Amino acid sequence: MCKPLRIGHLYPELLNLYADKGNIQVLVHRCQWRGLTTEVTPVYGTDTYHLQNFDLVLLGGGSDREQELVAQTLYPRRQEWQSAISDGLPLLAICGGYQLLGEFYQLADGHKVPGLGILDMQTVVSQPRLIGNIGIDSPWAGRIVGFENHGGRTTHHHNPLGQVLHGHGNNGIDGQEGVHFQNVIGTYIHGPLLPKNPQLADFILQTALDYAGGNLILPPLPDNLEKAAQQAFMERRLR
Amino acid sequence: MSVFAVWIGKLTAFILHLAKRNATSLPGKVALQVDPRLLQTLSRQLHQCVVVTGTNGKTTTAALLSSMLGQTTALIHNAEGANLPQGLTTALLRRTSWLGRLKDTTALFEIDEATLPLVSRYLPIQFLVVTNVFRDQLDRYGELDTTIEKLVTGIAATQATVLLNADDPLAQIVGLRSGRPVQYFGLAANMATRQVRDQVRDGAFCLQCGSLLNYEGFVYGQLGSYHCPKCGFHTPTADYSGEVFRGQLKVYVANQPVQNLPLPVLGLFNAYNTLAAVACARLMSISMPTIAQGLSLYQAPMGRMQVFNSQPRTVLNLIKNPTGCDSVLQAIASEPGNKVLCIAINDLAADGRDVSWLWDADFELTVEQGQFIHCVTTGLRAEDMALRLKYGDFPEKNLSCHVPLEEGLDVALSTAHIYGDLPVYVLSTYTALYPLAQLLARRVSVYVQATENRPSVS
Repeated sequence: MCKPLRIGHLYPELLNLYADKGNIQVLVHRCQWRGLTTEVTPVYGTDTYHLQNFDLVLLGGGSDREQELVAQTLYPRRQEWQSAISDGLPLLAICGGYQLLGEFYQLADGHKVPGLGILDMQTVVSQPRLIGNIGIDSPWAGRIVGFENHGGRTTHHHNPLGQVLHGHGNNGIDGQEGVHFQNVIGTYIHGPLLPKNPQLADFILQTALDYAGGNLILPPLPDNLEKAAQQAFMERRLR
Repeated sequence: MSVFAVWIGKLTAFILHLAKRNATSLPGKVALQVDPRLLQTLSRQLHQCVVVTGTNGKTTTAALLSSMLGQTTALIHNAEGANLPQGLTTALLRRTSWLGRLKDTTALFEIDEATLPLVSRYLPIQFLVVTNVFRDQLDRYGELDTTIEKLVTGIAATQATVLLNADDPLAQIVGLRSGRPVQYFGLAANMATRQVRDQVRDGAFCLQCGSLLNYEGFVYGQLGSYHCPKCGFHTPTADYSGEVFRGQLKVYVANQPVQNLPLPVLGLFNAYNTLAAVACARLMSISMPTIAQGLSLYQAPMGRMQVFNSQPRTVLNLIKNPTGCDSVLQAIASEPGNKVLCIAINDLAADGRDVSWLWDADFELTVEQGQFIHCVTTGLRAEDMALRLKYGDFPEKNLSCHVPLEEGLDVALSTAHIYGDLPVYVLSTYTALYPLAQLLARRVSVYVQATENRPSVS
C-alpha cells in the first residue's frame, strides 16, 4: 500500500493523562517495521477536522475537568460521529475517552456530562477509585494486561473487550472490561495499552488497514521484548 | 503521649542501625502503630517549622535550606527525603529523648503533597514553600486536580506564609485558593525560551476559567511566562527574581541591591530550587552572607547527581515522574562523551504502581543526544523499561534486561569497563535508590561525596 495510514489523535493536549502518546508510538513503529507509512494528525480543541480523513481515531483519557471540556466540544457533532462509526470507522478510546462514547458520564456531584451516544452505555462516578494492575482475556485478542485507574462505573449491553482475570474492569461487579462494538474498542486499560499487548495493536492496525481499503495482511513481527514484558507482568503482577 | 511508642521507635532505629539498614521510615511506622497520635504530640513541642512541598525539587530545596539554616540553628530535618508521616515521625524520634522530650525545637520538613493535609494542622508552620506542581504518581493521588486540592487543604490549615513558584500556574492556583499570605519566586523573563520539545505540559489550561493559557516563553514543563486571554490570570511579579549568569545566581529583590550567589547545582530546575531556598531563608531573616556560605557548603543528597568513584565512575539519580526524569536526562545528555545508562524501575507503593509515566518522559532525547552506547534496564519492571526504549528507537541490540538490581548494575559496570571505562549513569525509582546506593558504595574504596558541581536533581 503506498497511501499512508491516516491516524487522528484527538485532543492530545487535553486527553493525555495516561501516556496515550505511547499508543501512537506503537502503532507508528509497528507499521514502520513492516514498511508501511503512517500519517498522524494531532487534532487540538480548536481545530476543524473531518472524520472521513482518518483511517483510525484515538481518544485518550483526561482529568474530569479536561474530559468535560472535550465533551462540550464533541457533543454538537455527535451525529457525524455516530454515522462515521456505523460506516465502520476504527476508533480506540481509553479511560476518559471510553466514557465519552456512552450516553453520559455522571460526576460525583450528580452533574451529568452528555457523551457522544455512540454506545448504549452509562458511566457513574463512585468511590473508591478502581485502581490497580489488570489482566483480561479477550476472545479475539488473547491476554490483555495493563493498569486501570478510574472513578467511573461503566455499564453496557454490548460485547465487552474481554473478561476480567485480575482487577476491577468496567464496574468492579460484572467481571467485564471494555467494549467492542463494530470497529470501536473502548477500555479502561492503560499502561499504556498497546506496548505490552502487541496482538491487540496488530488487530487494531489490521482493522484500520481493511477500512482504508488496502488488500493487505500484516505479517507477524518477532515481538520478543513485547512478549517478555507481558509474560513478566503476568507472572509478577497478576497473582 | 505514649513513651512506650517512643521507646519502640528508637529501639527499631537502633536495631536497623546495627543491621546497617536504612532507618528513615520504619522506626516512625512502628511507633505510629503503637501510638497513632505520636507525630501530633511530638510536633506540639516544636517552636518553629518550615515546610517544603511540591512535585519536584523538595529534597534538593530542603537540603539547600538546611545548609543555610543549619549554620546557626540545630535542625530536625528529614534529609533523606522520607516525606510521609512515618518519615516525619522518624526524623522527630531521632531528636527525642527516651523520656519523650524533643532536644531541638526547629524543624525543616519536606512533606509529600498527599501527606500535607494529614499533618499540617499539627505543625507550627511559619513558612511553606511550594516548588512546583507536576504530574507525579497518578495512581496514588488519583489525578492532578486531586493533588491541587490536597495542597490547598493542607496549606489552608496552617498559619504559614506561602512561598510559591511564580512561573507555575498550578502553584499559583494553590496559593490563591489556600487563603494564606503569599510571596513569589521566579526566573527572570530572559531565562525563558520560545522553543519547546514535545513534552507533556500539565496545567496548560487556566484553572480559573478553563481557557488555553497563552505563553510568552517557557522555562520547562508548564513553567514560564503565561497569561489567560479570557480571565486575565497571569504570571505574578516575583518578589524574588533570579537569573543564572556565568554559573552564578543573581537575585533581584525590589529596593535592594542585586545579590550574586554561588549556584552549587547545575540545571535550570535547580536554579528554581536554589532561588526558592534563598527566598525562604530571606523571609526567615537569614543574612545574605550566611546564605552565600550555606550555598558554598552544600552537598548533594542521595540520588541527586550523586557521584560514586567506582570503577568505572557512576552517577546516581532518582527519577519518579516525567518532568523530573526529563530534567535529569537533559542534564546527562549535555555531558560530553560516550556513556552507559542503567535504568532501575520498581513499581512498589512508594514508586507508584503505575509505570505509564515512562512513556511521557522524553527518552527519545537519550537516543538523539545522549551518546549512550549501551543501556541496562533492571528492577521489577525492567522489561517495561526496555520496551519503552525500544519504541523510543534505542537499538534493541544495545539493550539488556536484568531484573535483579545487583546483576543489572554489574552488567552496566562491566559493559562500561569493556568500552574503556565509560561513565555509568544510573537512574532509579525511589525503592531501588537506596539498595543501589549501597551496592555502589561497596564498589568504591573511598566513598566520594564530591558533587563536582554537577546538576542535582530531586
